[in-house]
Amino acid sequence: MIYEIRHVSTYRYAATVPFARCTLRLLPRDDPGQRVFTSGLDIAPASTQRSRRTDFFGNHVTSLTVETPHRELKITARSRVEVDREAPPHGALTPRWEQTRRDSVQAPSLAPTAPAHFLFPSRYTPLIDEITEYTRQSFAPGRPVLEGAAELMGRIRADFKYDPKATDISTPLREVFARRGGVCQDFAHLMIAGLRGLGLPAAYVSGYIRTIPPPGTKRLEGADASHAWVSVWCGAEFGWRDLDPTNNLHVGNDHIMLAVGRDYADVSPIDGVIVGSGGQKLTVSVDVLPINGPV
Amino acid sequence: MSGDWQNALRLDPAAAPQEGRFDSWTRGYAPLDGIPDEFIGADGAPRPHWTRFFSAMARLEPSEIDRRFGAADRHIRDMGISYRVYGETNDRTWPLSHLPLLIDEGEWREVAEGVIQRARLMEEVLSDVYGSGRLIADGALPAAVVTGSADYLRPMRGVAAPGGQWLRLYAVDIGRGPDGRWWVLGDRAQAPSGAGYALESRLIVSRAFPSLYREMNVERLAPFFRDYRAGLTQAAVRAEPRICLMTPGPYSETYFEQAYLARYLGFLLVEGDDLVVRDGLVHVRTIAGLKRADVIWRRVDGDWCDPLEMNASSRLGVPGIVDAIRQGSVVMANMPGSGVIESKALLGFIDPLCQRLFREDLKMPNIATWWCGQKSAREVVLERLDEMAITGAFGESVPGFPGKRILLGGELGADDKARLRGLIEARGVDYVGQEIVRLSTTPVWENGKLTPRPFVLRVYAAATPDGWRVMPGGFCRISGQPDARAVSMGEGVTSADVWVLADKPVEMATLLPTDASVKIRRLLGNLPSRAADNLFWLGRYLERVEATLRIVRCLCNRAVDADPGVAPAQQSVARLQRLLVAWGAASEEVVGESPATAAIEALYADDHYGSARSLARDSARAASVIRERLSTDTWQLVQGLEAQLSAPAPAGLSEPECFDHADSALRALAALSGLIQENVNRVAGWRFLDIGRRIERGVNTCRFARHFADANATADNLDVLLELIDSQITFRSRYLIGVALAPVRDMAMLDTFNPRSVAFQVGRIDEHLATLPVLREDGMIEAPKRIAVRLVSELATEEAMKFDAARMFGVEQQLAGLGSAIAERYFLQGPQAGRVDKLRDLA
Repeated sequence: MIYEIRHVSTYRYAATVPFARCTLRLLPRDDPGQRVFTSGLDIAPASTQRSRRTDFFGNHVTSLTVETPHRELKITARSRVEVDREAPPHGALTPRWEQTRRDSVQAPSLAPTAPAHFLFPSRYTPLIDEITEYTRQSFAPGRPVLEGAAELMGRIRADFKYDPKATDISTPLREVFARRGGVCQDFAHLMIAGLRGLGLPAAYVSGYIRTIPPPGTKRLEGADASHAWVSVWCGAEFGWRDLDPTNNLHVGNDHIMLAVGRDYADVSPIDGVIVGSGGQKLTVSVDVLPINGPV
Repeated sequence: MSGDWQNALRLDPAAAPQEGRFDSWTRGYAPLDGIPDEFIGADGAPRPHWTRFFSAMARLEPSEIDRRFGAADRHIRDMGISYRVYGETNDRTWPLSHLPLLIDEGEWREVAEGVIQRARLMEEVLSDVYGSGRLIADGALPAAVVTGSADYLRPMRGVAAPGGQWLRLYAVDIGRGPDGRWWVLGDRAQAPSGAGYALESRLIVSRAFPSLYREMNVERLAPFFRDYRAGLTQAAVRAEPRICLMTPGPYSETYFEQAYLARYLGFLLVEGDDLVVRDGLVHVRTIAGLKRADVIWRRVDGDWCDPLEMNASSRLGVPGIVDAIRQGSVVMANMPGSGVIESKALLGFIDPLCQRLFREDLKMPNIATWWCGQKSAREVVLERLDEMAITGAFGESVPGFPGKRILLGGELGADDKARLRGLIEARGVDYVGQEIVRLSTTPVWENGKLTPRPFVLRVYAAATPDGWRVMPGGFCRISGQPDARAVSMGEGVTSADVWVLADKPVEMATLLPTDASVKIRRLLGNLPSRAADNLFWLGRYLERVEATLRIVRCLCNRAVDADPGVAPAQQSVARLQRLLVAWGAASEEVVGESPATAAIEALYADDHYGSARSLARDSARAASVIRERLSTDTWQLVQGLEAQLSAPAPAGLSEPECFDHADSALRALAALSGLIQENVNRVAGWRFLDIGRRIERGVNTCRFARHFADANATADNLDVLLELIDSQITFRSRYLIGVALAPVRDMAMLDTFNPRSVAFQVGRIDEHLATLPVLREDGMIEAPKRIAVRLVSELATEEAMKFDAARMFGVEQQLAGLGSAIAERYFLQGPQAGRVDKLRDLA
């Protein structure tokens, strides 16, 4: 499946902003099962300095400054990406979760995909006893790791309500858990915290998901959303496996991956500082268009 | 024969009490059971260097000893030596033990060798975990020991340390164990604190006991700091580098120390906002524009250094600085991410790492530690839980036990113990078990006698052009309790100076360079914009306090002198009260009340921004962030003024009493003004202080003149104005007739010979501006100068009679505009200045 993705972020300010400096993670990366043909950024007003690099986890990072005084900053990211993922392994074939836990500590590597990076609490994913206990219910002794993780994903989907009004990015995980509601970021953080609480490595993946409009209706422009899910380490043989707790899905060809990290803080699409003290308002619109294949 | 007799006569009365004192101090001194002591050796006999010390001290009369201890305490208070407990706004005075810790040279040599070996080892570990990762790939170090630390900063992976060194100042906490050996308890590499306090303690104790200090051959500290500075200088790309000490700001726990070190070493004290990255280079914002920063000694934690690449919520850092490091254009000491070696998990691997990297034994062992992430170690810990201390492998507390830094297995209840076992089995990576070590004791002086107390010693090593060098001395923390298994700076802990005693007299040393080729300079570098800003505001606040006090004094004076029946005086009183209201010093309600009501509010109200108390606090706050630029005397006077006005106001003050209070505060201010005029070097900093004062005085004088020399002014009003601007005597000596409108206006506004007139202030400001640096050499006049020149000529050509309230207001406005123009030109630079806001992110 080939997709064309357009992701537009527009900041509107109450007062003129003479200077902005941002770090963007808006360009998708190559990955097994995913190939990026083209990608690019449009900045309005135009940036003064711009540089690209790859961060520790292999994500594309663009740093830029805008020195033209402006009341509106519009960042448009476009890309064309082919997705062709292999089917997920059968859960029962993966190692026992206790085995994975042991192996994750022993893997002698600091490489970006090494499990050791994804074992510990991080900024948005503190380890919380209640969440660990909630997770443990899916991990009876000796259970294969992916089977347990998939069940956990299903339970999150069933027990938690998708509610964009319930939380924002600053809502602490403990509160998300207590409210039994949130959005994709919250579900991803929750699942990661639970897995790590048991000693299992888990990563945060940002990206997009193709939305298929109900039969007979037209797809609304800009209605697709940025998305987030979880990657679970299933031992050296099976490696990282992606699970989407928001939709109770093994990640397949409807998902396009943008960036990977320990939690949202590592992959946040836009980080930056501006000079100015007025208010600001952000609107985001995302389009994920399949180029070939069934429409 | 007669000589002996004389000697005996002279010695006898002196010798007896001296020995008596020595005996009485030491007789009752008993080391704790099974714990080594610094003073009394394992054989039960006092160690010779301590005996030498106490014998010398015993020569002093008890009253003299008390007097010297008292002087040391006073010195600490006067110098404002303080630290802050996180979350508190007020400084705490530094508690210093009166006795130094003594260590002889031979023993110290061994300590120093151990510390240097460890510093080299840590440097290797850092360059490996941020570089090839060979130690991990080979299995010498588990990956999770590295990745578990919040200070393993992934953006630093693959970065070559500019200047070739990850660590430039490294510290290690050591204690003497029951076997008499020194043991390493922990490593400090993030931004080790305490070296400045060590320096300060030395100053205090050596001043309290100067002859003792000389006799004991104490190794000097200055060469260590000189070499550290030389190391930083050598690491920089440019030959004469600008070195900055980057502070988290006055609310950090050790701000005093940072300001002290910056001043001592001649570094620029900067906050994140003072620095800016342009074209891959780091710059300081100064009054002369952006100036390159070559070396940054950071006291901001690594993760907070750069909001763009690290902790995005940081406001302490400099956006883009990591990229500048990556490009090699700035040296940072220590490199961000160095803190990774502080984790306790690493302690379990030091010994084999030393063998592997250097093929050497560890010269100084560290406290036996088992990291529970490994099966074999976990089993040892679980088996021997009762004899172990359990701490977090990373970070300060034990996971699952909030607020606990350490758990003693043997002292846990059954429930907690079972829970701890479960946690260790599930997430062993988060825990270490450590052998329980009881630390050796050193004598402290308590109520006139000696008592043994356990201590921890922090030792510092610096990277110098000749390799690692250890500070002969350190930062010693002494516990308040007899049993110390973990000492931290908190309650019941004092610090002590550490004397390393040489066998022969030591050379005097200071930071003075020995090289005779030092260039003579009269002007020093470029003043950072933030410092200029704070000096300017210090000047303005001080002047504003003065104005408030003068109004209060004048008000009380009227009330006392005036016959209540006399209308003109009453009218002036009402005007003065309204002035205080308009000024923000008192509330509406005071108008019409007794003068004392208004005066008390204006002096002591907490909730009025224009009260003398509020303004004195503002002055102290502005001064506190530029402490490294103020002399101790100046700082003391600013604090004294604040203390005087912050004291609780006695209830029901009368007018004469208010007058006295205002008068006494004005005297304190006069002393401060005198000090600033006479003792402050005429460099840019002083000029900004003075410009601030003069702008404020100009504005205030315009304001007073508008109120009391308007077209309808009475003779009494004019008299008030003369009193407010302190010009009564000049006026009377010049005009033998009584007050009249035109001469009074002239004296207040236009008279360039009257140091309180507006024209005089404007003239001084104009002179100051002429000496300050310009941004471009294109001969164009800069905005502040343009306003100043216009004001000077306007006031020079005015006639007093025509100079009505409207014109005065015009001048007042222009002065305010001049203040803004100065702020814009010198304190903010370019489009990157100004209030910074975070871009909020996607939902």
